[in-house]
Amino acid sequence: MTHAAPGTASTSPPSPEPPRRNFLAEAASYVIGGIVGLVPVAAGLAFFADPILRKKATMRGQSEDGYLSVAKVSDLPKDGTPLRFSIIADKIDSWNLFKQQTVGTVYLRNVEGSVIAFNDVCPHLGCKIDYKSSNKSFFCPCHASAFKLDGSKSNPVPPRDMDALDVRVDPSGAIWVKYQNFKRGVEKQEVL
Amino acid sequence: MNALLNWLDSRTGYKHLIQEALYEPIPGGARWRYVWGSTLSFVFMTQVITGFFLWSAYSPSTQSAWESVNYIQNEMAFGWLVRGIHHFAAQAMMILLALHFFQVIIDGAYKAPREVNFWLGLVLLQIVLGLSLTGYLLPWDQKGYYATQVATNIAGVTPVIGSQVQQIAQGGSTYGHQTLTRFFALHAGVLPTLLVAFLALHIAVFRRHGIKCPDQHLSKPQGMFWPDQILKDAIACLAVLATILYFVVTKGAELSSPADPAEAYSAPRPEWYFLFLFRFLKFEEIDKLGLAFGAIYIPGLVFTIIALMPFIGKWKLGHRFNVAFSLGLLLGASYLTVLALREDAADPDYVAAVKEAHRDSVRAVVLVRRDGGAPPEGALSLLKSDPLTQGPRLFARHCSSCHRYDGHDGTGRMIVITKGEGEHKTTEPVPPQAPDLGKFGTRDWATDVLTNYHDVFAPLKNLTLDEKNIGERFLAGDMAKWVTDNKAALTDPANADDLKALAEFLVQESGRKDQGSIDVLLSSAGKELFSSGKLKNGALSSSCADCHDPGNGAPTLVGYGSEAWLKRFIQTPDHADFYGANNAMVPFVGKLSDRELQLLVDWMTGNYYRPDGAPVH
Repeated sequence: MTHAAPGTASTSPPSPEPPRRNFLAEAASYVIGGIVGLVPVAAGLAFFADPILRKKATMRGQSEDGYLSVAKVSDLPKDGTPLRFSIIADKIDSWNLFKQQTVGTVYLRNVEGSVIAFNDVCPHLGCKIDYKSSNKSFFCPCHASAFKLDGSKSNPVPPRDMDALDVRVDPSGAIWVKYQNFKRGVEKQEVL
Repeated sequence: MNALLNWLDSRTGYKHLIQEALYEPIPGGARWRYVWGSTLSFVFMTQVITGFFLWSAYSPSTQSAWESVNYIQNEMAFGWLVRGIHHFAAQAMMILLALHFFQVIIDGAYKAPREVNFWLGLVLLQIVLGLSLTGYLLPWDQKGYYATQVATNIAGVTPVIGSQVQQIAQGGSTYGHQTLTRFFALHAGVLPTLLVAFLALHIAVFRRHGIKCPDQHLSKPQGMFWPDQILKDAIACLAVLATILYFVVTKGAELSSPADPAEAYSAPRPEWYFLFLFRFLKFEEIDKLGLAFGAIYIPGLVFTIIALMPFIGKWKLGHRFNVAFSLGLLLGASYLTVLALREDAADPDYVAAVKEAHRDSVRAVVLVRRDGGAPPEGALSLLKSDPLTQGPRLFARHCSSCHRYDGHDGTGRMIVITKGEGEHKTTEPVPPQAPDLGKFGTRDWATDVLTNYHDVFAPLKNLTLDEKNIGERFLAGDMAKWVTDNKAALTDPANADDLKALAEFLVQESGRKDQGSIDVLLSSAGKELFSSGKLKNGALSSSCADCHDPGNGAPTLVGYGSEAWLKRFIQTPDHADFYGANNAMVPFVGKLSDRELQLLVDWMTGNYYRPDGAPVH
């Protein structure tokens, strides 16, 4: 008696392969094999899709309707020159909460007594827009997007005007801004 | 299509490869007992897949490991599922390894010419053990932290190279960031790569020799790997997967509270598959021989015998010895596992510690959710500043030598004393020497003190002999006499509302927010009664205000049971606003830090975060 040593199987006359087909067994193998293989993959892919399956907050500390206190009217030059201000809020990043962080920056202008605000992120591809005091305009250092002081685009690089933000001034003179970010590279303004 | 496949085949020869893989003849036909190797490969693939996805969300550092795993488990979409599969598949792998091993031993598949493959299998076994060990630490929770401490300390007692091995594994002399980054690199990089390499060798050598069919089955018709054996393998894999999913859904992967090097975890146990080794090391006889003996020499000897089995099997009774030895190991390990589980279940301290650990883990998740995220220094800091977590511990440490809290020490442990030696060892509860404060500051407490004063203060009888007279000041004092005189009036059904009014008034004084809304009419009636002593039916022998006046040596009831009152009371119970000269309690001024006092008092006055809808403690 030889144990199943090398070559044992081939001592019998080589059978014409495949020897006999058992379609039921083959079909069942495909189905069951497919299920056991797919379950971990499907679970993993669903998990990986978490960012699009679940809406999560990115900051905290706004008023009920989403406004954050940014500056005082008296901080702004009366001639309408834009100044950049930090937006301070609690930043939520996945499992962490970072208290009192700069979550973004905005330009504020005092235009004849009324305050206007722009998100300083370029609507083109998301760089930070600079203010050029020499020619009193906004200019993006990345791809040369240019905007007038009222935020309207002054060359064809950006797909839309600078993103204006909703502003509210309370009786004490504090400026509240509804800080939002918008999708870049598209003509239509779309909240992220 | 066919032309395309033929083109591909002429360039790659894939058809031959597939035929090689699938049309493997199986002497004696496909059998269920051959499925274990395939199920192991399947579970390993599952671990690779779920492991890669977990990797995409895991952050190995002492301030983010627990936090990211908690985020995976409790916040991310299907995180509980992916982590659950990974967690329970790891345990399934241990069982399947054991089944595979026994199938190989019993069928004699370790003997010539398969010795090398048997050794390759043993290497794979070691790699899988390494994966379990390294993976267990990664969540950086109390359970993994302390269980892995034991493992690295065992490595540390290895003769000659021990402490170097330990330091290299830990990335230093203590646990820290580098312990995690190193364990993670081993767990997700080095060990899986080694496993793939050795598994490839294992399968290649296996194919060379084919299935080891027991002699009595050799006469049966030959089977084919595809589809005869594959179908059986697939069904077995399905059963394994179903079992894993069953545990994922019904039990879920555990995550205990964040690792805290400063807080002893009182219920450290390895995972169940290492429990036998844990229990083995606890035998006094083994312990006496030194840690290296029980944890390194003995397991090393057992493993050497296993590795030599192909040679032992050549002797006349060698195969029987191998089977008996393996079964003996299994029985021994099972016995030790059951012993460990039964001893733990019968140990009230262990049971209380497990409950406490569970409370902490639930609380950590609640606190992170309350804030919308963990602070940068880690979720542990939330537990450290949480009255519900720290209060009971402080009570146990500072108060429970005299007081009790609902009969226990605050954390759920009974206070007992062990008497006798060996067989005659018995544990008895230690009698309290001061009132049980479980209900302090509630309506029930007020009612109890007013009508059952002697019961509430009965523990003072247990004061030691030379303090007896101190207890007497309370048990035979003015308040005791007052309750004796007025109990009948206060418990008179006609005066039921008066008693309620007094309790309501006292709870209102505490300003506690966890005692429900205050019935303002009732409490103002209580306030009236407090100073007048007039009942609906009759009157109190003297009114509360007659004695309970600030500076009078009877506890002031202004703000009774409030945060400020309790803080002051704990620090200076001997002040004339409290017990004055009659005081029997240790003044804690200077014995508790401000922070500790605040945590303790916040806990006792119910001033801590409760998620919406959670029952009041």
